Amino acid sequence: MTESKKISRRALLKAATVAGIGGMTLGLSKVGEAASPKEKTPAQTKSKKKILGVDVIKVGGQGVISGAHADYGWQIQAGAILAIDEINAKGGILGSKLELKFMDEELKPAVAVKNARYLATEWGAHLLFGVDSSGSAMAIGPILPELDRICVFDHASTHRLTEELVYGKGIKQIFRIAAPVYQESNMAALIFKDFPNIKRWAGIHCDYEYGYSVWALFKDTLKKYRPDVEFVSIAWAPFWTMDFSSHISAVMAAKPDAIIATPWAGEGVMLLRQALMLGVFDKIQAWFQCMGGSVDILEGISREVAAGKFKDKLWATARYIHNYPDAPENNKFVASFRKRWNRFPNYSAESAYSTIYVFKAALEKSRSLKTSDLIKAMEGLKLMTPAGERFFRPEDHQAIYNVPGGRVVIDPNYPIPILGDLKVFPAQAYYRNPPFEALKMDK
Amino acid sequence: METLVFQGLVGLSVSMYLWLLAAGLTIVFGVLGVLNFAHGSLFMLGAYFTFTYYGLWGVNFWLAIALSLLSVAVVGYFMERFFLRHIYHLDHAYQLLLTFGFILIFDDAVKMIWGGVAKIPPMPSFFEGTVSVVGRPFPFYNLFIIGTGLAVAIVVWLLFEKTWWGKMVRASASDREMASAIGVNIPTLFTGVFVFGAMLAALGGALGTPVRVVAPGIGAAMIIQAFIITVIGGLGNLKGAFVGAIIVGTLSAYGILLFPVFELFLIFLIMAVVLMVKPQGLFGG
Repeated sequence: MTESKKISRRALLKAATVAGIGGMTLGLSKVGEAASPKEKTPAQTKSKKKILGVDVIKVGGQGVISGAHADYGWQIQAGAILAIDEINAKGGILGSKLELKFMDEELKPAVAVKNARYLATEWGAHLLFGVDSSGSAMAIGPILPELDRICVFDHASTHRLTEELVYGKGIKQIFRIAAPVYQESNMAALIFKDFPNIKRWAGIHCDYEYGYSVWALFKDTLKKYRPDVEFVSIAWAPFWTMDFSSHISAVMAAKPDAIIATPWAGEGVMLLRQALMLGVFDKIQAWFQCMGGSVDILEGISREVAAGKFKDKLWATARYIHNYPDAPENNKFVASFRKRWNRFPNYSAESAYSTIYVFKAALEKSRSLKTSDLIKAMEGLKLMTPAGERFFRPEDHQAIYNVPGGRVVIDPNYPIPILGDLKVFPAQAYYRNPPFEALKMDK
Repeated sequence: METLVFQGLVGLSVSMYLWLLAAGLTIVFGVLGVLNFAHGSLFMLGAYFTFTYYGLWGVNFWLAIALSLLSVAVVGYFMERFFLRHIYHLDHAYQLLLTFGFILIFDDAVKMIWGGVAKIPPMPSFFEGTVSVVGRPFPFYNLFIIGTGLAVAIVVWLLFEKTWWGKMVRASASDREMASAIGVNIPTLFTGVFVFGAMLAALGGALGTPVRVVAPGIGAAMIIQAFIITVIGGLGNLKGAFVGAIIVGTLSAYGILLFPVFELFLIFLIMAVVLMVKPQGLFGG
């Protein structure tokens, strides 16, 4: 709790300072007001001059900021703060400045729900975004109508969020800006259908929603293209697995040709290191680390990649990778992010950054903070973002854009490994489409 | 058959971290009568101190472990001398409240000092490489962990069975007042036992540093398994902690191999069966 308070306080002070400076340099009015948003209650911030009716648009975010997965929450905050500072420096959205409060969801659905309630009702957030855990996302989704807020999910990736809650149950307040599990399951299947020698697949997966859906979709799609493929073993690892040796040795006992693995962030790094210790890369032809294209994993294994220990057998994707696409929007984003934070952005940073710009585009379209108006403005919205053009599909509120997969390689132009040998597929080729067929999951 | 041998050996190496953690927990309970919820936090601190000395300051790996044990010993000394000592005469519920409070304090302190993001220091190069076991590569480091765990078991056994200090500890564990009457300085002895238990936990954390995640919360995640182990083996029983750790570590490894769908549930099932058949634990009594 102290961490979330400390960070949000810092972010808030920073946002307030920048808002003040921006106001002064651009010659906008009410510098004093913008510089001290904290002392005002939402009722007092109302002003007739503003189109949206408020001086400050409050944005409440969540992510995991402690534990083995904490780098994701850090990246979400870093991306969101960068976008908010850029927008505030140019005068805000329709004259209203943005203010951020960020809380730790701790990967616990109950905590995420408590945070969402606090942000919306007590703190007075107009807009919600965030969450890393699929379980947390599935818990927040159903309370959004009651809170009367939209929430843009910038990481949690279970297909059920958009397929079941939006398309199935009609909870229109849910939007997802990041690519869902179709990315690492269906797209991985498209890559590996073209490896005729890989016939025996094993999985090491997260023992929760996320791992179940990736494994089910991957098997389903690969089997369609390659009836000859077998799925020979599976090991499930819950949150807080510190030692994956038992999981690795269990799946290796079935002598697989390749392994697909979902553990992410710090756990993903330890899994890969422990796999190296167990000599796995001498025995298999390929290892697909689903979110291995994320910056924290690339940083964590850079020494081993440079030493050639993975023998060019390590493959990965992400929901955005900093070296794709080579377009002005992306290059500008990566440069500003590196300048501000002295690191590369991972996909949760990009999706949080783009979330803030989606809010901007939607508010400029709706010119209203009313949830129903915002939903109308966001359905079918098209926006250029660092990851490419995103389109919010009206049926399930899922943003459509494509991200390639590739081999983890060293590139002299980058201080950390990148994805090379990129395999690019159009999003339509691997996103599931409505009406969605129910998916049978193993667990 | 080879598969089972290999998986058992992997499970045995996992057991050793659990043993080092459960050993201190059960010693402190057996002698002081305190169920230390924050024992896992001492494991976590052992990992963080080692990370700092070895990963950040570049101190030699062995020296880093030794320094980390001493650092945790100091923390343990303060915990016992200034907090736990005052509540020995109170009900167990007060001990749980106090030590649970310590978990929160240590977790937040770690976040303030080292940050919330997981730390992943490099592997010492002399530990790289594998040994062939039943034709499959087995990490040298895991072999080293198994060796260390067994060595600690022997040393702890000798300490309690063969030394004067061990006899005093056992005497005061069975009858505090009588031991005190024949001249054993109970408060000092208790501080020593608590510090010893803390150092065992720290050793477990320290040894995991190069291969496992160092993050706030690992202590709380580990302590549940340590409790299951002491319940299976018998609370306060050292032999029970050793056997319990091996049961939990190897059976989870076999569970992952043979019953991947309900592997997590397996450990709780064993605990439930032990509680039904022998409520005081396998070696309790």
